[in-house]
Amino acid sequence: MIRSKGLDICLLGFLVLSVGCVSPPKKTLVPGSPDDLPGCYAIFPRESWESVYRIEATLRGGGSSSLLGVTKGEPSERRLQSLLLTPEGFILFDAELSEGGIAVRKVVVPFDSPAFARGLMEDVSLLFLPPQAKPIAWGKETDGTMICNWEDRDDSHTEIMGSMDRGWRILRRDKEGKVIKKVVLNGPFVNGLASRVELRAFKPAPYRLVMTLVQPSP
Amino acid sequence: MGLFFAEKASAQDWTSIKETFRNIRSVKAEFLQERYLQILTKPLISEGKLFFYTPDSLRWEYLNPLRSVMLQKGSTIQIYNFSEGVWKPEMPQAVEARRMVLAEISQWFQGRFDESKAFKHFYSPGPPARVTMVAGEGINRFIQRIEIILSVKPGVIDRVEIEEPGGSRTSIEFRNVEINPSFSSEVFEKP
Repeated sequence: MIRSKGLDICLLGFLVLSVGCVSPPKKTLVPGSPDDLPGCYAIFPRESWESVYRIEATLRGGGSSSLLGVTKGEPSERRLQSLLLTPEGFILFDAELSEGGIAVRKVVVPFDSPAFARGLMEDVSLLFLPPQAKPIAWGKETDGTMICNWEDRDDSHTEIMGSMDRGWRILRRDKEGKVIKKVVLNGPFVNGLASRVELRAFKPAPYRLVMTLVQPSP
Repeated sequence: MGLFFAEKASAQDWTSIKETFRNIRSVKAEFLQERYLQILTKPLISEGKLFFYTPDSLRWEYLNPLRSVMLQKGSTIQIYNFSEGVWKPEMPQAVEARRMVLAEISQWFQGRFDESKAFKHFYSPGPPARVTMVAGEGINRFIQRIEIILSVKPGVIDRVEIEEPGGSRTSIEFRNVEINPSFSSEVFEKP
């Protein structure tokens, strides 16, 4: 099995876009009202859920790939299982993320590197699981927009801002404050799941995923 | 790989079925695909249509939920996905991965079940008549068996059931099947 090192470090091996890094300025926040805190979790499903998203990945040089992403979540256990399928239903990747780490159940080339599994499950986790700790700061603006900021153990940050009416934005920043991933979630929200999601990663490898909700259930 | 018969008495039936398939030049049909995954409570339903011209031209097109088309003409395979209002070609790696899938489908529509290198075949006269294809070493990590359920209408496949290890399965039901219709060869060349 021959695989280039580039595939190992790229999400989906080939989901590369020529985009630059952008770093919207951080908003300075202080711990907000306890009444507003639940708003920081509004975009994350609270009960067991499952979803099917159509995923369109744009490639370097204009190529593209379309896949189906199937995910099942158990928020109370912080457990996610994700599958990637071809349009005809062939499973390319099947893995589970839990407190114990990532367990890959099924995978085919070129999706068989640990880096790919880690990158994909990080993205799924960013979309569907809130950070484990309580936010270090949060607030609600006069127009109802929630802004929440979590700090991770490695000094990286996750920021969430938005509302159910206008959609949400998630930013992942590295410890230097640079945005490494940006997610835009737009409604309508069906069973707590966004109908349209756009994820852009800037570091270490840039790529873009556009996800459209096909089948929420139960 | 040889053809294995469920019953000796069915040999003649099988011969006549093979003879019927030999008269097929082209097929046009719609299909409904139900993908049962253990993590989903409801199956994932896809709809599409197909065109086949013997021996190796195939158009296998999904209309929803993903609009995508696989085109085979001889040894040339192209895959396109409809995205942001235009057809976009699929990555070469993904195209190669589907080569075997297309080859298997082409063999089904010609009744050449005994020519698969990856599956062992068993015929059961039914009713309904069916061909069971059991995966050999290697491919059985992904597919355990394929059941092809034949229609009472000669040369027509009613349904295909694909079983995977771990309990996931796919059912493809063919509808409005036309045998030997006429259509432009462009259907195998352009999305």
